Amino acid sequence: MARRRFASALTFAMALLAGTAAAQAQDVVKIGVITDRVGSGKFYAEPVTRGIELGAKMINEKGGVLGKKIQLIIEDDQNKPDVSAAKARKLVDDGVVVIMSNTGSPATQQAQTVSLETKTPHLTPANSADTLTTQLDNPWFFQTGPLASIQLATLMTYTKARGFKKVAIVRDNSALSQSFAESFRKGLDGVGIETALEEVIPQGATSAVANLQKVRAAKVDAILQAGILGPEMLQFFRAYQQLGMKEPILGSYNLSIPAYLTMAKDLMEGVVFVDAYDETKPEAKAFRDIYVKDYKEEPSSLPAYGWDGIHLVAQAIEKAGSLDKEKVRTAIAATTGFSGAIGAKGSSWGFRNGSRSGFDPQGAVVRIIKNNQHGPVVHSGQK
Amino acid sequence: MDDFLELTVSAMASGCIYGLMALAYLIVLRPTSIINFAIGEWAATGAFVGVGMLSTLAWPHFEGPYILAVVAVVVVLGLLGWVVERLTVRPLLRRGAAVTSPILALLGVLVIFRESLTLIYGADPLPSPPPFGFRRIEIGPFAGASQQFFIIAVTLSLFVAVWLFFERTVWGRAFEAVALNRRAAALMGINLGRVTALAFAAGASVAGLAGLLMSPLTSAHYMMGLPLAIQGFTALVIGGVGRVEGALLGGLILAFVEQLGARYLPIPSGLTLAFPFALLILFLLLRPTGLIAPREAR
Repeated sequence: MARRRFASALTFAMALLAGTAAAQAQDVVKIGVITDRVGSGKFYAEPVTRGIELGAKMINEKGGVLGKKIQLIIEDDQNKPDVSAAKARKLVDDGVVVIMSNTGSPATQQAQTVSLETKTPHLTPANSADTLTTQLDNPWFFQTGPLASIQLATLMTYTKARGFKKVAIVRDNSALSQSFAESFRKGLDGVGIETALEEVIPQGATSAVANLQKVRAAKVDAILQAGILGPEMLQFFRAYQQLGMKEPILGSYNLSIPAYLTMAKDLMEGVVFVDAYDETKPEAKAFRDIYVKDYKEEPSSLPAYGWDGIHLVAQAIEKAGSLDKEKVRTAIAATTGFSGAIGAKGSSWGFRNGSRSGFDPQGAVVRIIKNNQHGPVVHSGQK
Repeated sequence: MDDFLELTVSAMASGCIYGLMALAYLIVLRPTSIINFAIGEWAATGAFVGVGMLSTLAWPHFEGPYILAVVAVVVVLGLLGWVVERLTVRPLLRRGAAVTSPILALLGVLVIFRESLTLIYGADPLPSPPPFGFRRIEIGPFAGASQQFFIIAVTLSLFVAVWLFFERTVWGRAFEAVALNRRAAALMGINLGRVTALAFAAGASVAGLAGLLMSPLTSAHYMMGLPLAIQGFTALVIGGVGRVEGALLGGLILAFVEQLGARYLPIPSGLTLAFPFALLILFLLLRPTGLIAPREAR
């Protein structure tokens, strides 16, 4: 008898708990975030995630979305494609309305197999690979990060405007750096600038002096830095300084990652790089003020990607008027004229003409590094 | 000519690092016949321990004097080497395991060290402050960064000290005796266990010091161990496993081939990656004892 009574009480308690959990589930809008907390992509994925967290906090303080609070469910894929797909599936099982991917493009590409299969809206706020929306016909996936081709075209416009005729490309031997260098070569060809030589600093090298001596001997007008590996890039900057070189250095958007500023402290003065952030833009200023108030430090452009991404998602859910995934997808696809912290002044995001890549072609900028900080914009857009 | 002299300083500094790594292999290998591939991770650990002392990692807002970092690296890595020998090598040797068993066990140690570094310090490369800044220094016709000259000075001093240890001290002689004939050395009253433990401790300290010296050039990062282990092993094969001076010679030859090849050979610079492996294969095929042959029993 006592056992039966205990069983009844247990059943009642479990039903109560289940009911409470269900009620709680209905009270929140679950958004999944895939980040990298320990792997090779941590140094850019984590700042983007910080921006998403801050954005979600601000949206919640203003009443949330559809009257519900946003609940972020954050998963770590270690920037590994197979893990990323597994984490995307876990997020879907957890009941998220949208997945946001912050790690490397290959990992995001793999996670798309899950968003396509489970029909879950999926957005990457910072990934730049052009192929993310072209390799797989996934109507559930959207990209707002600045495409590599747009960044390249912007950098080439700047390079051409400076009158450079002959340049050197310096890279490491990672696959991504190789891909950057190839894009640089094609872009340079396109604007009639000669690539005099391409130097590779291999992983594990203990000196880049020989590479930079060759660059110095080639008497180039500028150096395009296509490296992505921190230690090898540090050697590039060390050798550049040691050899007393003066050739201007132009870098990819990889240099917008703040970790390089500490790692290569005092070595990057005057280096220009492509970015998608102009701190004098009103939206960027507003974001910066909130960020500084909350985190007590100056933001780089990376958190701004996350900030804009979560605001775009929240706006779409609000417009959809429900948590129905198809309606949310349609609302995201209909986004036009979204002006956030990211992008050059006057640029806006939007998925025009059925494209699922929403970054404004005129949205990238070229910035200069000053006093170990990402400094002002020196060029904007492709004109 | 200026380029060549600049490159000489750079290659000498790199060669000294490779030489230290080869020395770390040699100190363990001579008395134990064990090739310890974990020394690359010990070099990385040395870099992180040093950076921890010098920067804000371990003690916020504290920048310790460089000598403190050197002492910390030597002591901490020495202890780690000793502990690794106790926990992984000695039990296997006691059970009469084949010499390949500790080598495989040490590969496991390699993974443990690398993953622990990532967990403790994270995946981001950490800047490592050089003791004398990083300005360009010109000594006669030679020009290089102050850290490169520092690496050369410290390495040459260390090699002289180690050479004197092996040639002039009783403990050095004991190491040499064990290297020549373990059984005979044991019969002469030399404590084999103690020599093995000391070899691991000293090997780890030397590797850790190499990591600390190199970290201002490359930063301290968890992936720095493997390339150093390969370069050190190649230097060891080139110089020969029998003599201290062979380790330095092998390191210098490797670095000069790498850097002069990258500068002057008319090949894409990406191919310079293959130089250490090509040299390794060449020496293993044509001169497996290395350039300096081991000393015969006297």
